[in-house]
Amino acid sequence: MSNPIIEKIDAALIDAEQRLSAAASEAEIEQVRVDIFGRKGLFPALSKEMKNVAPEQRKDTGMAFNVAKPKFQKLLDDANDRLNAGSAEVSGEEIDLTLPGRRWKVGRKHPVTKVIDDCVAVFRRMGFIVASGPELETVYNNFDALNTPKNHPSRDPGDTFYFADGRLLRTQTSPVQIRVMESQEPPVRIVAPGRCFRRDTPDATHSMNFHQIEGLYIDENVSLSDLKSVLRSFAHEMFGASVEVRLRPHFFPFTEPSVEYDFSCIMCEGKGCPVCKNSGWLEIAGAGMVDPNVLKNVGYDPEKWSGFAFGMGVERLAMLRYRISDIRWLYENDVRFLEQF
Amino acid sequence: MKVSYNWLKEYVKIDCGIDELAEKMTMAGIEVEAIETAKLIPDGVVVGEILERDQHPNADKLSVCKVFNGKEELQIVCGAPNCDAGKKVPLATIGTVFIDPESGKEFKIKKGKLRGEKSFGMLCSADEIGMDGDHSGLMELDTDLKAGTPLGEIFAGDTVFDVEITPNRPDWLSHWGIARDVSCLFSEAAEMPEFTAPVPTANEATENTVTVEDKELCPRYTARIIRNVKVAESPEWLKERLLSIGLRPINNVVDITNFVLHELGQPLHAFDLDLLAENRIVVRHATEKEKITLLDGAELELHDRHLVIADAEKPMCLAGVMGGLDSGVTDSTVNVLLESASFFSSNIRSTSRELGVSSDSSYRFERGIDWDMVQTASDRATAMILELAGGELVTDFIDIQGQKPCPAPVACRFEKIRKLIGVNIENGEIVDIFSRLGLEVKDVTPEQCVIVPPQYRLDVHREADLAEEVARIHGLDQVPVLPVVGKNAASIADDSYLDYEMLQNDLISLGLYQCLHYSMVNEQSALKDSRFTANDLVKIDNPLSLDLACMRPSLLGEMLDTVERNVSRKNTTMRLFEMGSVFCSNSKLFPEERIEICMVLSGKCRPERFSDELQEVFDFYDMKGMVEALLERRDIVNFTFEKASDDRFAPGQCAALIIDGKIAGHLGLLASKFTKGLRTEFPIFAAQIEAENILEGKTGNLYYESVGQYPSTTRDVAFIADNSLEHQKVIDFIASTRVKNLEKVEIFDIFYNKETLGADKKSMAYALTFRNSERTLTDKEVNGAFEKLRGKMAAQLNIELR
Repeated sequence: MSNPIIEKIDAALIDAEQRLSAAASEAEIEQVRVDIFGRKGLFPALSKEMKNVAPEQRKDTGMAFNVAKPKFQKLLDDANDRLNAGSAEVSGEEIDLTLPGRRWKVGRKHPVTKVIDDCVAVFRRMGFIVASGPELETVYNNFDALNTPKNHPSRDPGDTFYFADGRLLRTQTSPVQIRVMESQEPPVRIVAPGRCFRRDTPDATHSMNFHQIEGLYIDENVSLSDLKSVLRSFAHEMFGASVEVRLRPHFFPFTEPSVEYDFSCIMCEGKGCPVCKNSGWLEIAGAGMVDPNVLKNVGYDPEKWSGFAFGMGVERLAMLRYRISDIRWLYENDVRFLEQF
Repeated sequence: MKVSYNWLKEYVKIDCGIDELAEKMTMAGIEVEAIETAKLIPDGVVVGEILERDQHPNADKLSVCKVFNGKEELQIVCGAPNCDAGKKVPLATIGTVFIDPESGKEFKIKKGKLRGEKSFGMLCSADEIGMDGDHSGLMELDTDLKAGTPLGEIFAGDTVFDVEITPNRPDWLSHWGIARDVSCLFSEAAEMPEFTAPVPTANEATENTVTVEDKELCPRYTARIIRNVKVAESPEWLKERLLSIGLRPINNVVDITNFVLHELGQPLHAFDLDLLAENRIVVRHATEKEKITLLDGAELELHDRHLVIADAEKPMCLAGVMGGLDSGVTDSTVNVLLESASFFSSNIRSTSRELGVSSDSSYRFERGIDWDMVQTASDRATAMILELAGGELVTDFIDIQGQKPCPAPVACRFEKIRKLIGVNIENGEIVDIFSRLGLEVKDVTPEQCVIVPPQYRLDVHREADLAEEVARIHGLDQVPVLPVVGKNAASIADDSYLDYEMLQNDLISLGLYQCLHYSMVNEQSALKDSRFTANDLVKIDNPLSLDLACMRPSLLGEMLDTVERNVSRKNTTMRLFEMGSVFCSNSKLFPEERIEICMVLSGKCRPERFSDELQEVFDFYDMKGMVEALLERRDIVNFTFEKASDDRFAPGQCAALIIDGKIAGHLGLLASKFTKGLRTEFPIFAAQIEAENILEGKTGNLYYESVGQYPSTTRDVAFIADNSLEHQKVIDFIASTRVKNLEKVEIFDIFYNKETLGADKKSMAYALTFRNSERTLTDKEVNGAFEKLRGKMAAQLNIELR
């Protein structure tokens, strides 16, 4: 039994194919589309006729609709492609893809800031938050409260910058410890990045203006083992999981026991190279258990609270990480240098 | 400090190799910074005995020798003139590998044939085996040596450690001190060398020999007099010891005092007794402006605060620091007064610092010395003088004492130690560590013990100090590493860096490179920012140089230097910023320390492109746009730019940035006084903004605002106006008319043309967008509103509509 709807569809397909293969303009193609899919086109008209189709034929008729739709669409698309392909070739607008792109401006952080931000991010993940303090400090916060003996050489005007009113340029970020501990009760878990100043004559590895990151954790039962664990986590996150941490006994007035800590050399992986002077270890900085006198100075009971503190030189880390040979490059601000980070 | 390995071995049995010893010392707190090893004689070089010497049949200058290597006779061809039978010389046997010190190349001794004669090895000169000496002939060895003995055993080179001693451990400032401590790490305790305590052979009166006027600054002064010494060169072994640690031998008496200082850590001084007026010593304060000439030739003027060792008339020594030129032991000295004393450490330190004089003695005294060692060292040096320089000890031990330090007992709770270090270490082990360190352990209970430190460990006076000793000797490598327990001790809202970090990120997102400059500048550079006068500057009392004499009041001065430096290096395209602290002592300007941002923009907008685009150069609107973008990133809404006059910027291209009604900073074209002479063709723009004003600026409404779904309609208005009519005025005027459904006003054209418009006129064109949020506007409505607006503009703006 014949099905008039299916027949009409088949006829329309043949008609469309002929018209489209002959079409020379987008308008002609559009006209075909309107004749089939348009409001007054074939499909809406046939849809209306569907209600007259015998029930047993409905399934087939519906199927024919569904199959025909993409066939028409493909004919239209092919015709469009044919026209457009031709036009591109004709106009010849091929471009030189190798010419430089119009760059969005990208800025860069200074390597010192980059290292600070990366360190801070690592410590924040361990639950430390960032504290800060002024660069212009009191002798009390910078030395006295940190248990530095009155006649300690670091206090000498040959080593520390002073102002007429007796204050100084902080020689370390440690006074931030004092400021924080004086303003709150334990537990304390902070890092403090910032500028420090020592009266060093500038050379390839010394700058009288430099940056440190200080860490401090005060709580009940904090031990040297906690310090070592935090430093190792830090080393792993900054330099990779193969880096080892070593503590060596040392001396600082504000910690007891005091240590210096080394990372296994990131250049040679501990095998020995000129950077680590063949020792396999890179000296990073100092740390230790906060001296009971420091705790007493800020009104913490050393019987109840204990804690560790550590410091590190940012410039040194930046120089290691980017293999910068002279610290003075960091303060030259040559555009070609700054573009590299 | 230099430590000789051979010297150290005199006092302690070292069970390991040199590198391991260095490692152990470092891990015990005596940081070995460098190891200098003497050149080693290669393995295979032995003592060879020349048995026979014959002329080489085919070469005049060569000899054919029979040489005994301890086992067999070898035939060796030799070109040296002195290869005589009976001599013992270095023999490099077959297989010995030499390394050329210059090229580093290896050179191996092989069987060979020289002019037809077989040769089984090489006889060597001193320099061939890496030793100093004559290279014109073979090195002639002691004939008592046994043939076949490896030369490396006979000339064992010394190894010298360069160690860093922390200021809390003056007891490590000697070979004996280090041996005593590191012996804890080995099987046997260190032992001081044995010597016989000197016994006087006469009993000269000494009541007036020494007077100490200030027993606080000089708590102990001891002396002995030795007569009829023979000052001469020191024996080889003594010279070798001193040379190994870089000291120059002088004469036996002086060398002995230096040796004992480096052996036991006690500084000593030997006076020529006959050069002391009235043969006596007075330890006293210097009188005002008293003069002394030191050993090194320096002439100093002294004051009451300085302690001197004087004779009856004048100062002979700067006490504990350096001897005088006139009283030391010389070749003509016959009678010696040997001083061994203790001085108050901080007085030595301040004297040494103030006068700029330091020595091995002052280095030790300012850190503190061992009270008990004062006598031991005197005993040791006296015994050595009597042995090496002869003479007779003619006095008893003169010993004038003030207050002896009395180390207080320290309680040590075992559990507290374990908790502080984080290791599980038995009580017994803790006690054992203390005993091995020479700390007296008393009253041991299961909970605690009591420690009495010896005189040389005055640094131990608290429980934490004991924890350090346990950690150090038990080993810091034994401290366990555990997973870090992240713990929030405070809210991230308390994080003081977050704001600045974000602001920094925003500045970078604008395409700027971050600079860092020193916080200190020279006054001239500081005052380039004309907001400040010299009185506003925070000046450093002791600057490193005048170039770094005051704290920067603004970032501009150094930024200008950076611009100049970059321009001189032909980096003429610059997009820079710095954010950092600035300082001011005038609270009317700002309170002492605050954070400022400085931005610089100059050069090509698109240096990476070509043709017309390459010609685009940054102008005022790039700088302004950058500031606007920054404020947009910070969600700041209430800001305007107002024309300003500020002599940091060129007149006419300077704006003040106003945020929430407050001046937050300035931006514009840098004044020509800053840029004159710079070799750049490009104008330079800068902005200076106080960070706080941005961080505290009011931010926009965070809630969503409905956007209309209906299409908009635009109308253009163009007009000719006076040059003086500002864009903002047009915008403000249109806004003030409150035209219905007007969504936005945007300028799209502006041009000048003297001929068609006139010299002081310009043409401006604006696009007006109309939209209603509830329906599509009809042309009629829009036209009505538009015409009404045009009418108002024509009437009130002094323009000519086109």
